[in-house]
Parts: sequence; C-alpha cells; structure tokens
Amino acid sequence: MSKRFRAQNYPTQVVDLVLIELSNWRWSWRSIVVVSLFVPLFGMVGLSIYARDLGPEALNAVYSGSLVMSLMLGNLGNIQSHVVFMRFQGTLEYFASLPIHKHALMLAIIIAFFLLSLPALLTLLIIGSALLRISLAPHPLLLLVIPLCVLPMSAIGALIGVRAGSPQQGSSLSVLTAFVFAGLGPVLFPAERLPEILRLIGTVNPAARATSALRQTLIGPLGEQIALDLAILFGFTLCVSYLVESKFDWRASHAL
Amino acid sequence: MRNLTKTYPEAAESANKDISFQVREGEIFGILGDNGAGKTTLIKQMVNLLTSNSGDILLYGQPIHNDSLYLSSLVGYMPQESHALNHLTVGEALFFSAHLRGMRRSAAIDERNRLLQTWEMEDLRDHNSARLSGGQRRMLRLAVATAASPETLVLDEPTNDLDPQKRRLVWENLRGLNRERGTTIIFITHDALEAEKIIKRVGILHRGELVVTGAPHVLKRNLKNKLRLEIAFPPGQPPPLPADLVPRRLSATRWQIVLEPHQLSDVIAAMDIDRLADMKLNSATLEDLYFHYVEAV
Repeated sequence: MSKRFRAQNYPTQVVDLVLIELSNWRWSWRSIVVVSLFVPLFGMVGLSIYARDLGPEALNAVYSGSLVMSLMLGNLGNIQSHVVFMRFQGTLEYFASLPIHKHALMLAIIIAFFLLSLPALLTLLIIGSALLRISLAPHPLLLLVIPLCVLPMSAIGALIGVRAGSPQQGSSLSVLTAFVFAGLGPVLFPAERLPEILRLIGTVNPAARATSALRQTLIGPLGEQIALDLAILFGFTLCVSYLVESKFDWRASHAL
Repeated sequence: MRNLTKTYPEAAESANKDISFQVREGEIFGILGDNGAGKTTLIKQMVNLLTSNSGDILLYGQPIHNDSLYLSSLVGYMPQESHALNHLTVGEALFFSAHLRGMRRSAAIDERNRLLQTWEMEDLRDHNSARLSGGQRRMLRLAVATAASPETLVLDEPTNDLDPQKRRLVWENLRGLNRERGTTIIFITHDALEAEKIIKRVGILHRGELVVTGAPHVLKRNLKNKLRLEIAFPPGQPPPLPADLVPRRLSATRWQIVLEPHQLSDVIAAMDIDRLADMKLNSATLEDLYFHYVEAV
C-alpha cells in the first residue's frame, strides 16, 4: 500500500537550494555592501593611520584582519538574520514541506551567502592593497583558505540563527560574537602588540587563525603555521556544524 | 491517525486529545472547528511539522517518521500563514517546488506554466513573493502545494483572505484535482458553507477533541431535517418569535433560527414579514451540523 516517492538526489537538492538562496541578493546586497565592504574599508583606512608608524607587519595585520572582518561580519550577520527570518516568518515551513534534507538547506544557505560575499571581498582586497600599498603574492592555497575563513563564521551565524529567541536577540548576539572574535587575539593587530593572555586565546580563535592563514597565502611568506591554522579552522567548522545540525529543528519553527 | 495527543510545553491543557480517524485515498476530508479547537495543531502533526506527544500517523500504510522524505514527497502542504517564500519570484517558487519534488527540469518549467495558468497568476510570474498581497501569497502557497501533483494535499484554511471570485477558483481547482488526478485532499476551513460544495467527509473538532466524523448527508440525518431561517431587520426592531424558539444572534440586525418544518408556519405568522429587511430559508448546512455537534458537547 505504501507509495514510491519522488525526490531529487542530494547534489541536485543542494544546487536547487543554492539557487533559491542566491535570490537573497535581492535584499542582502545593500547589507553586504555596507557591512562587508564599507565598514571594513573604513576600519582599514582608520587603523592604517595608526599602523603606518608601527611598520609593515602592523599594516599587513590591519589589511588581513580587515579582510577577515569583512568575511566575518558579512557572513555571520547575514546568515544569522536570514535563518532567524526564515524561522520567525514561517519560510522554514515551506522548505520543511519539500522532500529535501535539512542539512542540504543549511549547506545551501552557507554556500549562497559565501558566493554573495565574494564581490565585496575581492573589491576590498584590491582597494585595500592599493590604499595600504601592500604588494600581494597570492599562493594557490588561498582558494582553500578563503572558504575556510568563511565556514566557521557562517556556521556560528547559523547556530545563532537556529537558537536565537527573537530576531533582536539574534542580531545583538551576532554583533557581539563578531567583535569578541575580532578582539580576542591577533586579528586586527600583530600578535607581538597584544598582551600574553590575548595571544594565548588567539591560538584557538578561528578569526585569528583565519587572519594568519589569509596573511600567509595572500602576502606571504607561507610558514609551517599554515597547517595548524587550516586544521583549527576545519576543526572549528566541524564542531559548530555538528551543533547546528543537532540544534536545528525546522519542524519547531516559530511564527510571529 | 491513531490516538494523537499534543500538549505544548508549559500549556495547562492539551491542544489535541486522543484523536483517531482515517482519511481514505481519493477522499476530500474537511476539518471544521472553532478558534482554538486545535485544527492547525492537528494539521501540523499530520505533516510532521509538530511532534505528537503520543499516537501514530500512517500514510499509505507506512509510518511517517520512518523516512524524512517519505511524507514530504507525497504530501503538498499549505500553511495557514501565507508568508513569503524567501525572495523568490512567483515563477521561481513554482519551478523550484516542482523540480525539488522530483520533476525533470523541462517538466518543471511546463509545470510552472501550467500552475500559473490554473491559479490565474500569469501576470504575477516575475513578482517578488515578498511583495505580494495576503490573498496573492495565499494563492501562491496553494499553487506551490499542488506543484508536481502530490498524491495528497493538506491545506490549512485555503480560502482565507480571498475574494469571492478567487474562493470559487480555489474550490473548482481542488475539485478538479480530486476528480481528474484522484488527489486526496484534507483541509481546514471556517467557510463551512462553501466547503460543503466539495467535502465528502467531515470531522468536527472542538476543544482538542474530535467530536464526530462522517459524510455530511449521513450526519445531517441527526438534525432531523431541520431548517435554517435567517432574517434581517431594521436596527432596534427585532420581530416577535414563538416563545419556544431562541434565535442565534449573528449581528445586531441579523438572526438565525433553526427550526423543524412544522414550526415554519407559526414563525411566519408571528413575524410581520413586511417589516423585515431580508429573509432566507435553507435546509441544514455543514454549519448547522457543526453547531449541532459542538453545542451538544
């Protein structure tokens, strides 16, 4: 008596859902331009005035730190607000009523917002290097480092999105999280300028690891530290993704 | 549905208590109930959007919890709230819904065009779903629920917010799906009078309990051929009625009187018909059936 059901395979589900999620450019482009481009750009310009006197290391830190801030603020904030929007506006019910896996939806959201943030990142990368007169020596590993810089922050944005009690709570938490990650470790400042405790925390802070990995693969030189940076970023992503998967119940979506 | 019970956390009472019923393949089953009766909770349990505290739901003989995609691939669901579908256009929402339900890309494009035509939404094809009116969103959610012709439709208040023309289109399309494709349709409605045109069996829900299920014509026998007289009168001038009849006050100037055929002549004689603004006489409807069973509880 049971019926044979129709559904797309997993890759097709992800591709369709990425295309659906890319439609979010219709609202998110303004936020991406402001949060992922203008805020880090102005921050970069402001900090560079102070960093110029501290030498090229400090300028490199400001440059790579600002790129990480762009990825962090943009993806963390946008994914958080989008997931909260879907939960509280009932859009999740639409997805839950389709024959798709919930992790395919979350993966698609992360991929889509990553793709949407790339133009701002590339613009910041080019304008920033020109403004700070930093010569770039991109390493092929950069193609792996950029997604790995985005994934931990996206996963944290998703985690806040699935757990926040209200849209207001979600947005406050994501701003706080972004600044905590930016402040606790060598993100915008070189490690040698920070107190010991912040350097210590920075060893496990994904934002600091992302800054380190980005600096090595974009400006050089590539050191042995890159392996540890990538391992920590990857491990952090896995842990947070596991939490998102276990805490994300689209059936218990709220309605305003 | 077998012995379904749902109690929300921190709620004093259960939203649904021990509900059991069966919907047959190819049937149109309506669920009637007042506000807070637990209709939406029941519908969400059916489509696995809410976990039941106890009970089982079998779909075509198979428990719905066994496979996460089993239910969603066979059932098209329309929620009560007609929210936006992200920022998709109407055309995109229909295409992706059909494609994700297993259609090939070219077939999904044809399906999108067919749905736009069936639900009279051709001129909205490129409109952002977030900017549609409440009624337009409801039509879109209905079209989305029917994309790729699922075996069963579960619809929560399909005609709310719709103008009379659109309501008629909805009932016609649902009847067409049932007749031509054998789609099983389960829906909630407040609009008992219009729903009566298509319902084959009905369930009446009251305070979280299923009071009765059955075919309307069978259940109506319990009303003993009662008639429903609706009268409208000028403000402050209600007509006199025989003492044994208590009217149901629909508004300050409109009453409804449920009576047996032999009482009709006495009522007509008691009222001064010339002073009435309007008068309508109907045989028992689903609405009467609903009041009969709910008031008996």
